[in-house]
Amino acid sequence: MKFVAVTACPTGIAHTYMAAAQLEKTAKKLGHTIKVETQGAMGIENELSQAEVDAADAVILATDIAIEQEDRFSRARKIQVPVQAALKDPEAIFAQLK
Amino acid sequence: MALEHEFICPLPSGIHARPASALEEVVRHFTAEVTLLNRRTQRVANGKSILAMVGTDIRQGDACVFTVSGPDEREAMAVLTSFLRDKFPHCDAPLTVTKIEAAAPLSPCLRDAGATVYRGQPVVPGIGRGRAVRFGKFSIPPSLPRNSVTDPEKEWRPLEAALKKLNATYDHRLGNAKGIEAALLKVHQSIARDVDFRDSLRTAVSARQRTAAGAIEEAEAHFSKMLAASGNALLRERALDIQDVCLQLLREIYGDAAKSAEVRLTADAVVVAESLTPGQFLALDRKFLKGLVLASAGGTSHTVILARSFNIPTLAGVTDLAVIQFGEQEIVVDADAGALVTNLTDAARRYYTLEERRITGRLLRLEKSSARDAATADGQRIEIAANISTAGEAAAAFASGAEGIGLFRTEMLFLDRPAPPDEQEQFESYQAVLAAANGKPVVIRTLDVGGDKPLAYLNLPAEENPFLGRRAVRIYPEFETLFRTQIRALVRASAGGKLSVMIPMIATVDEARWVKTIVAEEQKKCVAEKIEFDPAMSVGAMIEVPAAALAVAALSRELDFFSIGSNDLLQYFMAADRMNPQLAALSNPLQPAFLRLLKLIADAARAQKKEISLCGEMGGQVRFLPLLAGLSLDKISAAAPAVAGLKAELSRLNQKTCRQLLDAALNCATADEVSALLEQFSAQLSVPLVEAELVMIDSDATTKEEAIKQAVDRLFILGRTDNSQAVEDAVWRREATYSTGFGYGFAIPHCQANAVRFNSLVLLKPKSPVAWNSLDGQPVRVVILLAIRAGQAGTTHMQVLAKLARKIMDDDFRAELEQEKDPARLCAVLEKIF
Repeated sequence: MKFVAVTACPTGIAHTYMAAAQLEKTAKKLGHTIKVETQGAMGIENELSQAEVDAADAVILATDIAIEQEDRFSRARKIQVPVQAALKDPEAIFAQLK
Repeated sequence: MALEHEFICPLPSGIHARPASALEEVVRHFTAEVTLLNRRTQRVANGKSILAMVGTDIRQGDACVFTVSGPDEREAMAVLTSFLRDKFPHCDAPLTVTKIEAAAPLSPCLRDAGATVYRGQPVVPGIGRGRAVRFGKFSIPPSLPRNSVTDPEKEWRPLEAALKKLNATYDHRLGNAKGIEAALLKVHQSIARDVDFRDSLRTAVSARQRTAAGAIEEAEAHFSKMLAASGNALLRERALDIQDVCLQLLREIYGDAAKSAEVRLTADAVVVAESLTPGQFLALDRKFLKGLVLASAGGTSHTVILARSFNIPTLAGVTDLAVIQFGEQEIVVDADAGALVTNLTDAARRYYTLEERRITGRLLRLEKSSARDAATADGQRIEIAANISTAGEAAAAFASGAEGIGLFRTEMLFLDRPAPPDEQEQFESYQAVLAAANGKPVVIRTLDVGGDKPLAYLNLPAEENPFLGRRAVRIYPEFETLFRTQIRALVRASAGGKLSVMIPMIATVDEARWVKTIVAEEQKKCVAEKIEFDPAMSVGAMIEVPAAALAVAALSRELDFFSIGSNDLLQYFMAADRMNPQLAALSNPLQPAFLRLLKLIADAARAQKKEISLCGEMGGQVRFLPLLAGLSLDKISAAAPAVAGLKAELSRLNQKTCRQLLDAALNCATADEVSALLEQFSAQLSVPLVEAELVMIDSDATTKEEAIKQAVDRLFILGRTDNSQAVEDAVWRREATYSTGFGYGFAIPHCQANAVRFNSLVLLKPKSPVAWNSLDGQPVRVVILLAIRAGQAGTTHMQVLAKLARKIMDDDFRAELEQEKDPARLCAVLEKIF
């Protein structure tokens, strides 16, 4: 399947990027493709275009804070989880979106 | 016929000493008897006795009745009722609103340790542990007889005379005092003339055949007990005022015999005192003096300056200090956290063992850098010297890396004694400093007294404006012998080292010329008497009067060097009393106009090829150092404990960028702009994110709290933060959202805080795994702490950390971090990803 995701934690120093890495790793392991946008201390990186969002089968929002440009995902099939969930049991997130 | 007046007490703190003394003042001069009844407590008091009125325990809202009866009762009642209506409700307004900074949260390690913690204001940083020793606690020497007076009338006379004399002394001192000191003196005076106080003394002597000492002891016990029983903290503290008055009475009557057993420290001690004079401080055995707790102390009081230079951790403003029962227990004065800790538990002791490690760790590190010559990274030498107040401090100052004594204030030799020190005593003191200096330069400032620092034997009258009055060089001509003696002692001492003499408060060329004449004459006498001296001894001036700042060129024809006394220069230049906390915004050395003045002085001195230094409090603050380096001063002199830190910081600076910083600061419009500029400058100093010393293997941390503390403490030791409490607190605030233990035995606590000076990564491996409330419930074997400055979004360091955060999810990377035990190689593993 084709996923896109956004990660964002309160300080934007560590967990944003840890969660992004974890989602990428897990997607690869499960045979999915994924593009993860990070919204942290570096600002928005690896930004998702509307076209990329529209082309995805599902969106994962692993966020603890309000994110920028959330309207990109208004029409998409999506799941919102705390950042911790992406770290602790990422496979469960993908399983829910099967 | 008696007159009555009912009223409700409007005062939030009730009728404590101050309102009571205001009431007493209103009725004192009438012959009518005045009584005050508190309906709630049903206690009645003599309206002419402050102590008795206070004893009725009148609180806000209590219904009270004044009864006046006697020949002038109508008049008295009229005055009293109008006072109660108009003035009484406002008679207890706060004297000065001292801004109390909100105390920083305690480290969780201490907070949860189960000990008793009182908060206070840190005055001199550091931590001291020792047995509690109350200073100035009232006691009558056992040698004085208490009982069995055969002639009560004879016994009463000296007591009565002493009361009278004490009153007169208060009158005199009140002429000089203002603000809180005046208020305190008034309270003391009102006790000394209180009718009930006097009656109780009188009755003890005449009815119970007590001696004066016995009567004083009885009165003290009676009134202290009465006040202590009150529910009002303000009143309980007044017990100390009674003790103070009683002590002075005793001294008045018995002289030296009344000196209670001097406080002699025999083991590590924390001295707790309502207040402490410089003389009392110096009399304490500093070998055992580990800390000071004062009820009140201004930041620039002389006792505090002394405590700072001896590095005695000092805390002030502990609420209810007077009533805390310490006994003889071991207590901790923690002037870093702003806490007084009693009832120590094992956990609290362990916390302070960690704290000791933190503080000595930083000292050891500073010592390493303090052995080097002070210079900027690009090789510009700036001598870092120490300020001292007694000869005894010199050795410690040099040991802490001072490259000279930049200011030896000689006042301490002259204060607190009945007559000035003679030439020989002064000579020995100056010589001792030069001996300790061992060839390094020593600047000795001539006597700066008068005005705010009165000497009893000079008999100077009180002045309206002591800081603008007759002090320092302005009184030398009047006390020429005194000055000549000091100059002669200095000239003689000059043979023993590299001595410079500095004159305080120079404002005009005339003053400089006069001083130079005296020096030349004394030197000539020494030649005649074949006394050895150094003819090259230089004579310079403190630049602390703004007029002198604009006369550097002319003064240069008379003098050899200049030293900026930033404290007084700032207060005179800004016309803002530096003791007044409400003017703190004006007394800020970062005021752009003040910086421009400093630049003007420094440039003028350089143009005349004269040495220019700075020896005020401004020089002791690392924060200001880039500006001072930008001024290209030849020397900075600060309290000895600041020397090592200044040298370390100086080595991080670059003269050229400091000059650019100063130029930018001179163009700022406000002190806040300068402050922001300094912040920004400090943020740009390039310091690596990680170094081998930030890697801690085999830590003995047993809890998450201790692991975080140890990691943050390492930042403090390495000078990456000056406020470990604030950083620790920021880490814990982040931890509160959810645990940073993300599983696999790893935790990544982090924070973004202003208190972080340089972005840092600490890697800590505890000897045994530590519970962290991790995502997978497993204890933690590797802790990676990230401490980031505020406002770093988008910087290279943030990029690096983002990379690290991603990498840490990689099993191989974690395995590498876990297996490697060598700090340098671990550092390399981390740097590989950067």
